[in-house]
Amino acid sequence: MAGYTPSRLAQVSRWIAEKATELGVPVSVDALCHTAVVRLGVSGAVLTLDTSGWPEIRCATDAVGERLVESQVTVGEGPAVDVWRGGGPVLVADLDAPSSQARWPMFAPLAVETGAAALFALPLCVGAIRAGVLSLHRLDVGHLDAATLTDSLAFAELALRLLLDEQAGLDAVGVVEDGLPLHSPHVHQATGMVAAQLGLDMADAFAHLRARAFAEQVPLSGLAADVVGRRRRFDRDGRRP
Amino acid sequence: MDGDRLVETFVELADTLVDDFDVIDFLHMLVDRCVELLDVDAAGLLLADQQGRLRLIASSDEQTRLLELFQLQNDDGPSLDAFATGTRVGHPDLSDAGERWPRFTAAATEAGFAAVDAVPMRLRSEVIGALNLFRNRSGELDATALRTATALVDVATIGLLQQRSIHHHQVLTEQLQAALTSRVIVEQAKGLIAERLGIDMDTAFAALRGYARGHNLKLSRVAHDVITGDVDTSEFLGAPGRTKPLRS
Repeated sequence: MAGYTPSRLAQVSRWIAEKATELGVPVSVDALCHTAVVRLGVSGAVLTLDTSGWPEIRCATDAVGERLVESQVTVGEGPAVDVWRGGGPVLVADLDAPSSQARWPMFAPLAVETGAAALFALPLCVGAIRAGVLSLHRLDVGHLDAATLTDSLAFAELALRLLLDEQAGLDAVGVVEDGLPLHSPHVHQATGMVAAQLGLDMADAFAHLRARAFAEQVPLSGLAADVVGRRRRFDRDGRRP
Repeated sequence: MDGDRLVETFVELADTLVDDFDVIDFLHMLVDRCVELLDVDAAGLLLADQQGRLRLIASSDEQTRLLELFQLQNDDGPSLDAFATGTRVGHPDLSDAGERWPRFTAAATEAGFAAVDAVPMRLRSEVIGALNLFRNRSGELDATALRTATALVDVATIGLLQQRSIHHHQVLTEQLQAALTSRVIVEQAKGLIAERLGIDMDTAFAALRGYARGHNLKLSRVAHDVITGDVDTSEFLGAPGRTKPLRS
């Protein structure tokens, strides 16, 4: 089917690396947002984090994007807020459409005032671990075509990986394709178990699990399998079994 | 096959679609009914994410070994073939499937399965995933069972796409990503419950699901509330399902 090609993640990863080199900066979420604007044909990209309970701007490529986030925080509603509370992406092809105005009666008129016409908010999350939201906006009405949508999800996945690396204190790892087994049920089950063992939330438990795997130079999936198989426990005082 | 039960299943599926729709609950019901109606021993539903990787959304049995069997089909296996070709793929006797799917056959045989089928989830030219059926005894899947499986899969596919709009890839993306996230939340909650109650993953899932059903709540909602602490895991003690404590 259109756009379902396994190589997109690798391709998007290369684009970001090229852009970072061109800008003379390390691979980062900033470089990622700037690459997204060029490659996805959008007007702007904003990455928001949520440390206070509301979206906070981590990086924004333009003023319109900043204003879109600020408006959502001010009125307490909007696509990025919905993404934060729900699970899936919120794709709005026309902010001025009756359905958009009805869904966000306060935010939608403000959004139109900024000049934005379409807004696509993508969650950066691993189950209950909510790292942030990647928002893309355009000044023209319209859907993202299938291929662009696929690429935008690859950008979101790579942004998620960068944020998770930061949380686990693994900045040096950078954007590594499939360096993180986000699709293994074991890893998520083990995260839940470690959260219970150490009395942490899922984000901290996941970061802890990753940091331990890195420190011991073992694959995360193997460590996770040991946790699930109860061959390995994490104790609050840090002692190993 | 029990005709009344089949009719009931379609009515139930249709109700789920009309009502407040939850992908995870919907697909779990579907795989459970497959096991019940089609004379198969295990069933799982895999959806392809945007990177083309098959990801398990619902399984009739949450044993780790079975979950792995779905997972490894990203390398070889009937679900991958059904997804890639958009056609039904079956192998009535896994004892001679070693060349076709080396890794999958070894794992499936070790798990005690003798025959396997996969039906693509397809709407026109678009394939979004596959239903995977396992049987303990070898032999072809009965023609009626196969027709029924195909009909169930078609309902599920239309349910997921919800509407045949020209922008269905947007709808699919929203639904699929939400479903994948819900599935991960369920895994995280299973781990939390398994650890706190000293039970295995399968029992933890049964307890989670029993609680959701008993309180008429969505599975993904309960999983979320367990993680945030809004539902206390001690409430799962004595919930329906087998209790198999691993530790005293």
